[in-house]
Amino acid sequence: MHTQEKHKIDFSFREKLNGIAEGYRHNFCYQCGACVADCPAGMYSDHFNPRLILLKALLGFEDELIRPDSEIWDCTNCYTCAERCPQDVRPVDVIIALKNLCVRTGNAPELILKTSDPVLTSGITTKITSVVDRRRQEMGLAPVGTYPVDELKKITEGD
Amino acid sequence: MMDVGRHPKVELMTFSEVESITGFVGNFNVRVRQKARYVDASECTICAECAEVCPVAIPDAYQQGFSSRKAIYLPFPQAVPSAYVLDMENCLGNNPIACGKCAEVCEKKCIDYDDQDKFVDLEVGVIIAATGMDVYDPTAYDEYGYTRYENVITSMEFERLICAGGPTDGHFIRPSDRKAPQSIGFIQCVGSRSRDGRGNPYCSNICCMNTVKDTLLLCDHYPGIATKVFYMDIRAFGKGFEDLYMRSREEGVRYIRGIPGTVVENPENGNLVLTVENTTTGQLEEHELEMLVLSQGVIPRRDGDQIKHLLTLSTTSDGFIMESHPKLKPVDAPTKGVFIAGCMESPKDVKDSVTQAGAAAARASILLNAGKTRIEAITSQINSELCNFCGICAKVCPYNAILAPDRKAKKAPIIIQAACAGCGACAAECPQDAIGMRHFTNDQIMAQVDAILAVEPQKHLVTFACNWCSYAGGDNAGTARLQYPTSCRLIRTMCSGRVDEKFIMRAFRMGAPMVLVSGCHFADCHYISAVRWTQKRMDRIWSKLDRLGIRDDRLRLEWISAAEGQKFAKVMRELEDKVKSVTKEEIEFTMKVLAEEEAKAQEKKAKRQLEVTVL
Repeated sequence: MHTQEKHKIDFSFREKLNGIAEGYRHNFCYQCGACVADCPAGMYSDHFNPRLILLKALLGFEDELIRPDSEIWDCTNCYTCAERCPQDVRPVDVIIALKNLCVRTGNAPELILKTSDPVLTSGITTKITSVVDRRRQEMGLAPVGTYPVDELKKITEGD
Repeated sequence: MMDVGRHPKVELMTFSEVESITGFVGNFNVRVRQKARYVDASECTICAECAEVCPVAIPDAYQQGFSSRKAIYLPFPQAVPSAYVLDMENCLGNNPIACGKCAEVCEKKCIDYDDQDKFVDLEVGVIIAATGMDVYDPTAYDEYGYTRYENVITSMEFERLICAGGPTDGHFIRPSDRKAPQSIGFIQCVGSRSRDGRGNPYCSNICCMNTVKDTLLLCDHYPGIATKVFYMDIRAFGKGFEDLYMRSREEGVRYIRGIPGTVVENPENGNLVLTVENTTTGQLEEHELEMLVLSQGVIPRRDGDQIKHLLTLSTTSDGFIMESHPKLKPVDAPTKGVFIAGCMESPKDVKDSVTQAGAAAARASILLNAGKTRIEAITSQINSELCNFCGICAKVCPYNAILAPDRKAKKAPIIIQAACAGCGACAAECPQDAIGMRHFTNDQIMAQVDAILAVEPQKHLVTFACNWCSYAGGDNAGTARLQYPTSCRLIRTMCSGRVDEKFIMRAFRMGAPMVLVSGCHFADCHYISAVRWTQKRMDRIWSKLDRLGIRDDRLRLEWISAAEGQKFAKVMRELEDKVKSVTKEEIEFTMKVLAEEEAKAQEKKAKRQLEVTVL
């Protein structure tokens, strides 16, 4: 493990993950490392390792995973690990479950919230400026309309 | 195999297929198709002159396609019988004008293009099935590039390349440039221990030790060759296995715990580059190897269905043949007089196969030496006067113990007592009630139903439990001292397949609030597939109850195994609440409806009989 300080092992975190959609497969992981070898994020980052994320989740290192600067945010959701995994753990799905847990507990990085918040206020992730509108007009595309934001809000509240 | 071929008491029939098997223990009739080999095996002296002149060349399957053979060939050097065989699909000789060269040069004149398949009928007492297994095809693991790169081979191909009798006479070379490789890698668990749909969920048992052996062969023949093994777990569990594994490590073979990702070929030299996380250090490593061996897993025989049908065998979820009992009867098939051995039962190595074959032979000789066999007295018998020759009994019998009736000749079905195992599915399905089970007759079971419901019927749960699983599950709950309500009353049958629609209707007619039918789980059925008929029958009864206006959840079906005492107690607690929820009015209504049904049925029957007498 990269971390030097002693950790308390907490198996109850597994059950917590079980309750989140797509997060239930982690129990099958036998740490073969097939997810790491082809991981593009792992190739460019020293500390990103899907196998270790799974191991930490299984051992319940919640404080390392559920935090704004956690390595899980380096995952690009490319699903290569899901294709390689012989146990059908689909590490990326577990990572997405962990991300959702981060957001739910207020541990999401600011940058992510900056990207996701506009969805609630406008229905899209990118702000449409006058430049974009002009460009679209030049290319003969219809202007981007408004989205039913109140409906979106209702859907997210229902969760 | 040579020894077997020479043994005076063993008749070896090679190049043959079993066409049909009828009969029962001690009296099997087996029809064997001896395929035409177009060469008289007793005359052939393997002088090889025929193969020399043969103009056809096709890939040699025995050498994994690394070399070619002729259309007339010796399958492999130690083949028994030691004679050539002609592959008619590729031969040009079926038109003698086109070729016919081999027949010209054969001095003994033992080649006959007009040879035909022969049928041989055998009478045998017992049958041992040992049809083996196939190897997993690693094509699905596209990231390893087996179909793209020449230097990626399977462990079977490795075996041919390093064998003295192989295509290279034992000189170990790599396919792309025919040079001896200086570095070689093995990837373990290709097609094994995987749940992603590409491979098999089980461990293939033999591949770890096969790779350990391969690395030692390489160290022996080519000292200095860099050998790396990529694995997730090395399973060296048998006698002497750990020693061999340790020797391999001492010889300098590198064992790296981690499964590699995509394999890329270096187009300049044909070397293979792979990335792997060494999970013991957590570091990504890149390895360039001159050759890569995929340690492929094993699978059940691809053409195994035929033998399964012939011998009424069933398979476990992994596709291998199921034994009669995993601990107490590991080499017996469910059908009496049939035994199984070797890799058709599960993946295993030579030693385990020999052990199992010895056990099967010993079990078989017990039957053969005694000359007679004891059977349980619980078998079915038919009253041919009641039979209307519908043939349903022969269809439901999981053991093929019932010879189908002949409607035209008015011949009732015949039940072979030696083959009958006593599940009672036939008796339950017979629409004429013409079949009775010894010790589990209709009258006996009806009397039990009546006795249970004689006093305070509204408080009792009528439970049918099969002898092997659910009844034993009840025992288990008892010995484990699990608490469950006292409302349940058990009626034991040999199999849940014995539970007739009549019994259930009788229980409801007598005022039972709930009826439970319980049996073994589908895969554990002690009568091959009799439990499937239970399911079908219950579906039928549920819809009938619906039609009559009776709540169908008053009839429950549960699968409880002998080890599931906990589940037994849980089901009993659950059903206790159900029993209490059934109202008095509901029971009275049910009794009334069923009494009317019964009266109607009797009226119909009387009318029919009257018609018969009038006629």
